Amino acid sequence: MHALPVEAYTSQEWLDIELKYLFSTTWQFAGFVEDVANPGDYISVQAGLNNIFIIKGRDHRLRAFHNICRHRGTQLLRAVGKTQKAITCPYHDWTYDLEGNLISVPKKESEFPNLKGELHKCDLNLHEASVDIFKGMLFVHPEKDAPSIMDFFGEVEPYLGPHKVEELIEYRSKNGEPFYTEEIKANWKIVVENYIDHYHLAHLHEGTLNMYDHAKAEFGWAGPHYWFYEPLVEDFLNDVENAAPYPLIDSVPRDQIGAYVPWLFPNIGITESESAWNTFHVLPLAPDRTLVTIRSKTMNVSEWEYTKQYSKSALSKVWTKYGNKGKYEGDKNDPMASGDFMLEDIYACEQQQKSLQSPYFSVGAQAEKGEYAIQRFQEEVKKWIEKHQ
Amino acid sequence: MSEFYPLQVLNIKKETEDAVSITFDIPQELYSKFIYKPGQYLTLRFHLNGKEVRRSYSLCSSPFLEEYPKIAVKRVKNGLVSNHINDTVKVGDSIDIMLPEGRFYADVKETNYKTYYLFCAGSGITPILSILKSVLHTEARSFVYMIYGNRHQESIMFNDELSALQEQYKDRFVLIHTLSRPNSSWSDLWKTKNDYSYKKGRVDTKMVEWFINEFPPYAQNAEYYICGPGTMIENTKTALKGIDVPNTRIFTESFGGAIEDASVKGFKNAKLIAHLNNQRVELTIPEGKTILRALIDKGQNPPYSCEGGVCSTCVCKLKQGEVHMKKNLSLDDKEVKQGNILSCQSIPLSEIIEVEYLK
Repeated sequence: MHALPVEAYTSQEWLDIELKYLFSTTWQFAGFVEDVANPGDYISVQAGLNNIFIIKGRDHRLRAFHNICRHRGTQLLRAVGKTQKAITCPYHDWTYDLEGNLISVPKKESEFPNLKGELHKCDLNLHEASVDIFKGMLFVHPEKDAPSIMDFFGEVEPYLGPHKVEELIEYRSKNGEPFYTEEIKANWKIVVENYIDHYHLAHLHEGTLNMYDHAKAEFGWAGPHYWFYEPLVEDFLNDVENAAPYPLIDSVPRDQIGAYVPWLFPNIGITESESAWNTFHVLPLAPDRTLVTIRSKTMNVSEWEYTKQYSKSALSKVWTKYGNKGKYEGDKNDPMASGDFMLEDIYACEQQQKSLQSPYFSVGAQAEKGEYAIQRFQEEVKKWIEKHQ
Repeated sequence: MSEFYPLQVLNIKKETEDAVSITFDIPQELYSKFIYKPGQYLTLRFHLNGKEVRRSYSLCSSPFLEEYPKIAVKRVKNGLVSNHINDTVKVGDSIDIMLPEGRFYADVKETNYKTYYLFCAGSGITPILSILKSVLHTEARSFVYMIYGNRHQESIMFNDELSALQEQYKDRFVLIHTLSRPNSSWSDLWKTKNDYSYKKGRVDTKMVEWFINEFPPYAQNAEYYICGPGTMIENTKTALKGIDVPNTRIFTESFGGAIEDASVKGFKNAKLIAHLNNQRVELTIPEGKTILRALIDKGQNPPYSCEGGVCSTCVCKLKQGEVHMKKNLSLDDKEVKQGNILSCQSIPLSEIIEVEYLK
């Protein structure tokens, strides 16, 4: 389209290449630190082609292993025991310690006479992976000796918001679901490109994201990562204590309030605002289907504080002018009339995906500044795949 | 290897009631030789009461800062050398010193992203302070959680320097003082809460577990450095292993105080064959003597420095026979299995002993 062919957005071959050489060679988002809060807690995540198991030891250090029992390759590992000192595969009860060493095989002597000596020296230990923390988020990498997570994210860190993520708490619905999940009928890169497209903000979202001052946006690249910041419009800033939908995040100094909206390569965005801190995780399900999961964190204060803020925000004059007006008037079920910027974005992404099938499709022109990020992102994807192929 | 260089004392500072720190000047031509890693030590040689004595002292300065090499020496009760240093060494003196060595060090690199747990007690602060300063100044992203045990407030060495570091790096450096016998008096009633910023007790299993629970690692590449008397090291190590910290992440340096196993009697007049400095030496080991002492007494020049089973300078390979190590505070199980022995601690258990010094 710019740096990538149309097939990169439509073919299974391309998605297979991306899964192998992009999603399996980068640090991949695995959740929040509190998902594995206590010794013995564990989760497993799919990261590209790899299913990776993260477990916290009693030393409060996280370990990551490929979720594959070394016996028959079963993906059934779980932590067991009162002391959470072991990982077993329930299929045949092969058991490993927290360093991944094989420590027990039922009927070892009679069934596996070739496994001589100590089990952990039989070359059947769990395959180690890497796990680390960045801004309160867990990331995994399939290699045991992965390049440090800070080699990967360090360059972009100074451009992120001043939010102390660890102090915030997550919004969860009653059944424990994340704040927002949606399957979008578009290639994952279209979703990313929409996220980093500055040009569309003042147009597609003219009535929904107009509380931010797009003209004063600052953005750029740090390694393969994109960073973006824009301040609030004056009306919003002047009344932000009342207008903010949730209590203001107190780790953000007044003079740094704004919207920080970086894209961390390759597939996670963060939206860091005056009162909410969200992750925007993009997972390809098929060449033309993408799962978006948003998890949201806000201030760790009482329900009462939230109720008060809600009332103040509802009364604020800011929202009569900003943030909730559809692009067109009409039926609220029409995304363009909904007044909801997510619906606007999804609509734009899905309509673009549909056009890719047409023999007449081409990208006619590109905004030099406002759409530069799109081309750069495609170049980064291409570069990364070529480097790892 | 065992070469000494005369270095001049540049500065002496009283750190506590019973400890001084000494800074040395390094002549320009020795700059490239006296390069060290944070955690390593210097070996000093004195001639006292007509006898040559050597002692190793950890460097508490950081090689990453523009600092002169500095050691700190705490008086040991009836200690020959530590009291000599505290009482008589003065600015301008020349002291014979070996090049820095030691296997207890942190591999500090600007790009590292790690969590360092530092455990120390008493004068065990010295190598830890070097590691601490090096990490904080060099590794902008790493975290340090440190616990420092002392008898009471006045015996805390480098207290001001530590407080300054706490202030400067408060986002990623936590320091907990623990005092086994804190001073207190009636006037404490008027003190503010801040004056009580210590925990009561020793650096023991309970304290270590509390500490790790309270300060879990942020960067997941965590390393654990322990320095202090033998029992403190054992306790800390046991506590860490008890919560599944892998051995490969634990680093220790013992400051004396280990229990010597003197119950084993050596083989009488065993024969020693030593391959040393490209020579083959044969001699008889007199009863009660170590391999190292037997060699020195016969005018040989084997590598050694602490003679206390700590520094591992005197390590050699056992090619034949069997020995007993009275103390071993530096070789791990794997190294012992591979046939490494500390010659300063080894007495013969068989008629013929053959060793090879590799350094």
